[in-house]
Amino acid sequence: MHRAAQRRIIIPFLLPALLLLGVFFLYPLVRTVDISFTEWTRTGSYHYVGVENYTRVVDDPGYLNALKNAFLFTLVGGCMLFPVAIAIAWALNQRIHGERFFRFVVFAPVVLSAAVVALMWKFVYHPTLGLINPALEGLGLGALARTWLGDAATALPAVAFVTVWHGIGIWVVLLSAGFERLPPDVLEAGRIDGAGEWRLFRSVMLPMLRDLFRILVVLWIVQSMQAFAFVFIMTGGGPFGSTDIVGTLMYRVAFERSEFGYAAAMGVVLVVIMLIVAQLVNKVMKRDELQY
Amino acid sequence: MKTMRFVVPLAAGCLALAACSGGDDGDTTDAGPDAASWHEQIEGSPLEVGVLSAEGTPGLAVLQELADGLEADYDGTDVTLTFANTDARPGIEQRWRSGDPLDVDYGMFDGTNPALTVWADDGALLDLRPYLEANDPETGTPWLDRFSPQVLEFMENPSDGGIYGVPSELSLHVLFYNAGLFTELGIEPPRTWDDLLAANTALKAAGVDPIAVTGLFEPYMGMWSDHLWLRTVGYDAARAVLTGGEGHITDDPGFLEGLEMLQQLRDDGAFLTGFEGTDFTAAQAQFFQGDAGMILMGSWLVSEMSDVIPADFQLGVVPFPTVEGGAGDQGAVMAALQEISVAAESENIPLALEWARRLTSVETQTQRAEEIGEVSAVVDVPSPPGIPGIDQVVADAESLEPRDYGIVQSPANEVIYPEIARLLFGEQDAQQTLERLDEGLRRVHGN
Repeated sequence: MHRAAQRRIIIPFLLPALLLLGVFFLYPLVRTVDISFTEWTRTGSYHYVGVENYTRVVDDPGYLNALKNAFLFTLVGGCMLFPVAIAIAWALNQRIHGERFFRFVVFAPVVLSAAVVALMWKFVYHPTLGLINPALEGLGLGALARTWLGDAATALPAVAFVTVWHGIGIWVVLLSAGFERLPPDVLEAGRIDGAGEWRLFRSVMLPMLRDLFRILVVLWIVQSMQAFAFVFIMTGGGPFGSTDIVGTLMYRVAFERSEFGYAAAMGVVLVVIMLIVAQLVNKVMKRDELQY
Repeated sequence: MKTMRFVVPLAAGCLALAACSGGDDGDTTDAGPDAASWHEQIEGSPLEVGVLSAEGTPGLAVLQELADGLEADYDGTDVTLTFANTDARPGIEQRWRSGDPLDVDYGMFDGTNPALTVWADDGALLDLRPYLEANDPETGTPWLDRFSPQVLEFMENPSDGGIYGVPSELSLHVLFYNAGLFTELGIEPPRTWDDLLAANTALKAAGVDPIAVTGLFEPYMGMWSDHLWLRTVGYDAARAVLTGGEGHITDDPGFLEGLEMLQQLRDDGAFLTGFEGTDFTAAQAQFFQGDAGMILMGSWLVSEMSDVIPADFQLGVVPFPTVEGGAGDQGAVMAALQEISVAAESENIPLALEWARRLTSVETQTQRAEEIGEVSAVVDVPSPPGIPGIDQVVADAESLEPRDYGIVQSPANEVIYPEIARLLFGEQDAQQTLERLDEGLRRVHGN
């Protein structure tokens, strides 16, 4: 009786959240699935075509290329992001002079808009007018100069680097919180036992932060698989599709060709793939929970 | 299970909502005012007009002046200028789909592009023909007579003969060259392909990259293959194969010929150093800075780059070079007409028509040509002083052909321009490009 009354009391408190969830998540999701079974004209009339859009998706080399690039982007970006973000967070966890300044420097790009950052880096990467190639040539390393965004081998890593540069501050903040949460008595015990800071970092801190890393890796996968702004502005998916990801392909299909149903099917397939990948990563990285 | 109690009814509700939303209701009315007396029915009211000029540009200032004039002449008029250029189009088109169109908008109609006649076919646009055929109250002659007959095919809907767009400006695809540099080096403006190759050689000898092009926007590299195929294959035949899905690209040797000519430019090192990683804004700026001798671009180049063109820069313009022995159209010029359309559902069609009438007046078009360098499709409007020779290009053109064969709006977009980029980047030769194009087009068109 008492428990039932408790449940009734909870309902009004849940309603606003449920309403928001329904309007901004469930409805768009359901509507996207609905649209994915239709074929549209540019003016907005449509008819149902069943699973035709899905059969097209699995046969579409453009989609498979975009999917492959999205995974590459996630992998390459992740390799650029996590070691650096962990190193910075660890360094900021030490007592260093100018810590607040360094925190500011690391976090500053986060507040810039993606469009501004993308345009700025587009010029930085420019083969002859930019900063990188002339600097390399000035240092006698001209052999390393590339047409960064115009070379199919370097374009994707170049865009991934900018994405990481822009957002790394957030990841550093999250990781710093993890470092600060570590129990000081455990670390102190390690120090008393004679462990150096590197040994503490490697053998105590990293294992204790494993759960946090698992969550952050899943977050990164979800975020980077949906990357759009940097690719769209910096390369438009080129050269010849080498940076095309599902987001940019969907945009072109939906808004240049007005194939909304097909674009929706691409999105739904991406959601399913992301759920599977996130679940797999979660499972692979899952270890016994540490209580501290 | 407990969660499901909430989620299932919510999801069911969402599904019901989804089932009820959107739909086939594209009902629009085409009840414009009487063509003979529409001008007398103009009353002041809010009017939302799409514009292509960005905030702070001279182009927008001219349009604002036009809006101020309309507001002064008709009490209660309040004109809102809404940015409606490329990046804003998805949102604007969504407004049209949801029944909240702009009263006057760009990009809604192009009679030469099947992807852009659909709004007219579905009744979303006002048929302007009755109003264009009626006498203009100021000139006493039909409004339609203002426009160059060459652009009529862009304005007319092939399916019903109606006119659903009036030209605000005309963009011609031409070869711009640095006339000062050409004079200094004694190079003739390239009228033929051989002239172009000779110009390349002379420019390279002088240490200047011959041609500015961007590698970061594939359709601008594709402008070269578009024009070469226009000369070696011809507009209708090329369009039929590329976007119409009729026949195969290997059927006509002109396609390979065009690709080989493009490869020749690449192999000669004709393109701007580092073009592969150069954005179009930078490529255009480099042309005006003298880093390159020529650029193939739309006539909007001058108004778009007006802030960076040095005061002493001498610009020259010629049509795309002819190809001797080419089986295509040697006298054709590729063009795009920026047309404005009136929403059939506009609440004040007479006022919307008046905006279109004033925008296409000789006075306004002349002001736009002189102040912002825009080429006009209105007769008796002088050529923009910033593009000397463009009037000759228009006069000499045997026909104006729509740019890009409609590739960008078709699934072929995923195939054609990326392969052209591969060719220019040195990833493959002309023959390999043709083979990959053939494979891709067969897949896209299912033939």
